[in-house]
Amino acid sequence: MGVPSVGSKLEPILKTENLWKVFRAGSLDVAALRGINLDIFAGEFVSVMGPSGCGKSTLLHVIGGLARASRGRVLLDGNDLTSLGDAGRTLLRRHKVGFVFQRFNLLPTLDARGNIALAQHIHGDGFDPHRFDVVTQMLGLRERLEHRPSELSGGEQQRVAIARAIINEPKIVLADEPTGNLDTKNSENVLGLLRQLNKDLGQTIVMITHNPEAAAYGTRVLHMRDGLVVDGAAAN
Amino acid sequence: MIKHMILRNILYRPVRTLITIIAVGVEVTLVLTVVGLTSGMLSDTAKRIEGIGADIMVQPPSASVFMAFSGAPMPIEIGQRLAQIKNVQAVAPVLLQFNSTNGLDIIYGIDPVTFGQVSGGFVFHAGHELQAADDILVDDWYAKGRKVEVGDTLHVLGHDFHVAGIVEHGKGARLFVLMSTLQDLSGARDKASVFFIRCDKPEQTEKVIGLISALLPHYEVRPLRDYMSLMTSSNLPGLKTFIDSMIWLAAAIGFLVILLSMYTTIIERTREIGVLKSLGASRSYVVRVILSETTALCVAGIVLGFGMSYGVRMLFLAVFPTLTILITPIWLLKAAGLAIVGGWLGATYPAWLASRKDPIEALAYE
Repeated sequence: MGVPSVGSKLEPILKTENLWKVFRAGSLDVAALRGINLDIFAGEFVSVMGPSGCGKSTLLHVIGGLARASRGRVLLDGNDLTSLGDAGRTLLRRHKVGFVFQRFNLLPTLDARGNIALAQHIHGDGFDPHRFDVVTQMLGLRERLEHRPSELSGGEQQRVAIARAIINEPKIVLADEPTGNLDTKNSENVLGLLRQLNKDLGQTIVMITHNPEAAAYGTRVLHMRDGLVVDGAAAN
Repeated sequence: MIKHMILRNILYRPVRTLITIIAVGVEVTLVLTVVGLTSGMLSDTAKRIEGIGADIMVQPPSASVFMAFSGAPMPIEIGQRLAQIKNVQAVAPVLLQFNSTNGLDIIYGIDPVTFGQVSGGFVFHAGHELQAADDILVDDWYAKGRKVEVGDTLHVLGHDFHVAGIVEHGKGARLFVLMSTLQDLSGARDKASVFFIRCDKPEQTEKVIGLISALLPHYEVRPLRDYMSLMTSSNLPGLKTFIDSMIWLAAAIGFLVILLSMYTTIIERTREIGVLKSLGASRSYVVRVILSETTALCVAGIVLGFGMSYGVRMLFLAVFPTLTILITPIWLLKAAGLAIVGGWLGATYPAWLASRKDPIEALAYE
């Protein structure tokens, strides 16, 4: 069962309206997001910056359907995440979202090919060899497909993670500090690949980063503080 | 893809995989060995009783179908009264005694003449009929298993017997002595445990049973053709309970090992489950992965268990050659089913736990 695409070219691919996320810490309510309004359009590469604890990762989790918003709305490709239950958000993640994590999060038991193919399998359309070849070629992974994560460098692991994220042609890729565990050279390599994906394939990307140099790879930079987007919220 | 992932997961943790497979194998082996041993012994006993060739057996009131459990409370004179019944061709009184020296055997105390009239006589592989008071006959299985030859001395029931002959198996017991000798040794002078009766025409069996029942009210009078069907674990007090207990114990081993194994697997793989969920894997997908892995482990354990069962049977037969262990296709299936169901039950909670994991917490798991 696919998730219907009800968006249009005039509508943002991702839209949040007065988005709140409140965590319960003991007897206290802690608001990680405090009413965020955000529009991200198809083909954008948006960098989100901000100090630790400002709510960047929480924002990524909520807009990616990993967590449920406490208040407000998240519209992803026209689908209101806040009205979806766990199963609905799972389906949405499967068909619309690709995640890239700081710690790569590859399955250690599978080789690079298996890690990428797993996403295709979960997606449910079966193994698409053409798409697989295009993606692995673009990310320079052709020679490393039979290697397990423990046999790959950090940069290679992150490239596998990016391949896994884009293999199903998601509407949006959400990258959480994708260069946080990489050295400078590998960071530049990974960021260059993300920019290439954005430019060549029109892949919409939202990337969280602490690093201003990394953020500069995006087409737009948002700044967050205390659960709010304080700068750059409007699209150019 | 799931198959590939499961195989990789299983191979990734070889020690735990091996322990789990062995535990399931032990479960299967325990079931097959216990059931095979009991059903084998019962079947073997029943075949040997049927092999006597009698039509009817008479036991004291309320006697067990397992004859050796009933002692010897019948006066031997009853045999003469039975012999006078119309259509009775021959009556053979037999005294039964357990022997626990060098294994567990039942010894038949017989009168060679009447026992021969009912059974058609022994087929001798070597030696001769019982003659002297301390003569003993052994069947060929016993002789082969215990390496006994004619002329040897056999110490049973605290008495040294002279092996007079080796006979073809299948005539009730594996050891035969003179009834008078056994009566002396067991303090049951002029007593018999059972009377085997041969009718002049087999079709007269029911009629003769009716006459015997009229003559000896309350005595157990059974046609031998039904004996096989009576030799089941449910007819032996406590045996079915014992078998059931052993099966449940075996199933509990499998259940607990799978539960523990899959639970620790889930804890170890918390982040991997978070990754699966981030990729859009549903709860049912996660459950399917866990249960499929459990099934794979169980199947490997079942195959090992089958092999171990046949190995144990070979070992048993090498040590106790007269034993019969029946490993039947139906019990192979039952043992396999038990292992699979036990495994699934054991994996249900870990699978449920995995499917309920919060993806963010799972991804943050160190």
